[in-house]
Amino acid sequence: MKKFTNLLFKEIRELINKQLIFSLVFTLIIFYFIGQIARQEAKRAEGIRRIGVLDLDRSPLSRGLLDNLRLVRFKIDEFETGDKEEALRLARERNLAFLLVIPSGLSEGIERLETRELETYSFLRSFSMAEARYGEIFRVILDTANNYLSNEILKKKWPEISPENLKKPLKSRDFVIVRENRAEASASAIAGFMYAQSIFVPIILAMILIYSSQMVISAIAMEKQNKTLETLLTVPISRSSIVAAKMLAAGIVGLISTLIYLAGFRWYMRSFTGDIAEAASSITTVIKELGLSLTTAGSIILLFSLFLAILCALALATILGVLAEDYRSAQSLIMPLILLVMIPYILSIFTDLRTLSLPAKILIYAIPFSHPFMTTQNILFHNYMAIGAGIVYMLVVFIILVIIAARIFSTDRVLTMKLRWRRRQVVL
Amino acid sequence: MATVLEVRGLRKFYGHFEALKGISFEVREGEIFGLIGPNGAGKTTTLRIVATLLAMSGGQVKLLGYDLRENPEKFRENISYLPEEAGAYRNLTGLDYLRFMARFYDRSPEETERFIERAMAIAGLGDRLKDKVGTYSKGMVRKLLLARALMTKPVLAILDEPTSGLDVINSLEVRDIIKRYAREGLSVLLSSHNMLEVEYLSDRVALIDQGKILDIGTPQELKEKYEAPNLEVVFRRIVQ
Ligand SMILES: Nc1ncnc2c1ncn2[C@@H]1O[C@H](COP(=O)(O)OP(=O)(O)O)[C@@H](O)[C@H]1O
Ligand SMILES: [Mg+2]
Repeated sequence: MKKFTNLLFKEIRELINKQLIFSLVFTLIIFYFIGQIARQEAKRAEGIRRIGVLDLDRSPLSRGLLDNLRLVRFKIDEFETGDKEEALRLARERNLAFLLVIPSGLSEGIERLETRELETYSFLRSFSMAEARYGEIFRVILDTANNYLSNEILKKKWPEISPENLKKPLKSRDFVIVRENRAEASASAIAGFMYAQSIFVPIILAMILIYSSQMVISAIAMEKQNKTLETLLTVPISRSSIVAAKMLAAGIVGLISTLIYLAGFRWYMRSFTGDIAEAASSITTVIKELGLSLTTAGSIILLFSLFLAILCALALATILGVLAEDYRSAQSLIMPLILLVMIPYILSIFTDLRTLSLPAKILIYAIPFSHPFMTTQNILFHNYMAIGAGIVYMLVVFIILVIIAARIFSTDRVLTMKLRWRRRQVVL
Repeated sequence: MATVLEVRGLRKFYGHFEALKGISFEVREGEIFGLIGPNGAGKTTTLRIVATLLAMSGGQVKLLGYDLRENPEKFRENISYLPEEAGAYRNLTGLDYLRFMARFYDRSPEETERFIERAMAIAGLGDRLKDKVGTYSKGMVRKLLLARALMTKPVLAILDEPTSGLDVINSLEVRDIIKRYAREGLSVLLSSHNMLEVEYLSDRVALIDQGKILDIGTPQELKEKYEAPNLEVVFRRIVQ
């Protein structure tokens, strides 16, 4: 045991090197800056809800219209001048994005059921996400105004009837059913929320798998490159301990770096999805009612499935690492493994892996790394058979891979096995 | 003198190529035994088999009476192997490397410290042991590894071309280290293609070529037998 921990600590120390720390810090800085920029954009987007208004009508109707715009969270800067050019100059001075001009005679025109023209001026100062939303803002302004004015007209004509009932005689109540559970909610809202919630899961899965395997491959390749492997193989410690220490160290360091990346990523995502949190509180109760939240048992199953996938990846990486001659060839040998992780990752983002055609399904199910990508869905929809089969399959693959890896390490193949096409004859 | 290592009829195939064609020799307690021969003679192959790195294709190898096929772990406990052109972990300091290696052999923390002290004396690197191995010159790395191999006082130290690739000064220092520290009761099996070096270092030598042993004896015996001034000439005479 002492020998094993000695080896394990050395492996971890070897893995936590300058390159790793540099890439961690670099990624976090990038995330930070993108997050900052996104936050600024969000602020600017808030900014464009501030609109300048020149009310040339000054009737109770136009006042009511402005109140209605305030109700839908517009901030209104009113100009006390009667001159349009003067108002534009003021709007420019105050750096407003919009000027809205309410024409004189709006009230009378509406009384006579004639249309009137609302003039809007927008100041384009750059072209970014905020400006791209100008159209949306216009539509909200116009819809709000139209809605208000038509309500006023209807109220005059039929004072005893609510204008809303008149305009929308049909209302809907939306229910969602998941398995036996039913709740009042909109299906698209639930699906959207679940998607936003679970978007992290495949990313974490893919990152842990790729990082850990990369580490184990590099660890073995570095031993070969620095010519330390032969010495290590002659010390009094079992070969399986050497393999296990390398795999465990890579697993630990891979997990830690994934958590750090993930923290950075969340930090960055929050700048986009800050408002989701507000909406979330009401939706989470519905999610619970529908049984769509992961229970503790569910989380444990998910973690276990991930753990098995990591073991498979580490064992496969160990075998690939033995084939590598040096650090550089290790970088190309990791490619097939990355591919095997990326296929289920990308597919799981765009489709439900369980609904693929049969040949595609067989291919996907044969990749051991696919199973954790399906586990969340399977837990939520109670497909316990699929989960169990996946876990058994991964276990079998892992055992086979470990036996192969241990065989290679306990014979001289660990030193003599190389990829043919990279082989160079060194003659002294 | 008791026999520490016994090699009998050792054979090794790499695919269809027979690198060792039945090699026999023995290393006795407290002696330095040198394998000399040109490049490709089979020296590294022999040492790697004894060091448990390569599987043998035929023959028998025994250390302290233990058979290599049956008890490779007994070999690992009692030997230390310095591979040809080996390196150390570049991110560790020299001292950390010594401690890391010592932990595989010690029976108590005090013993670890004793091993490390001995290694520091052997390597003679002083404060540079506190620097990372990545900053060492080739000669320094070799001395560190040699110190590592000798610090635990193994029953058999196996040194493959211990001075190859080093400059004259470093080679001299390495040779002095081997000669001085190897005498402390441990046996050494070393290889070299530099016949003069082996002649200087070894108590007994085996001349090896194309996977076969040509002759074995003390340098003095061999020189007298072939009436040659040094082992280089001995080797040339045998091959002719
Ligand atoms: N892994 C290997 N695969 C095939 N042939 C090898 C391998 N290692 C060594 N050889 C061959 O075996 C012979 C002996 O090699 P080696 O023991 O390294 O010689 P030496 O150490 O005496 O220079 C050489 O002809 C070499 O080419
Ligand atoms: Mg050699």
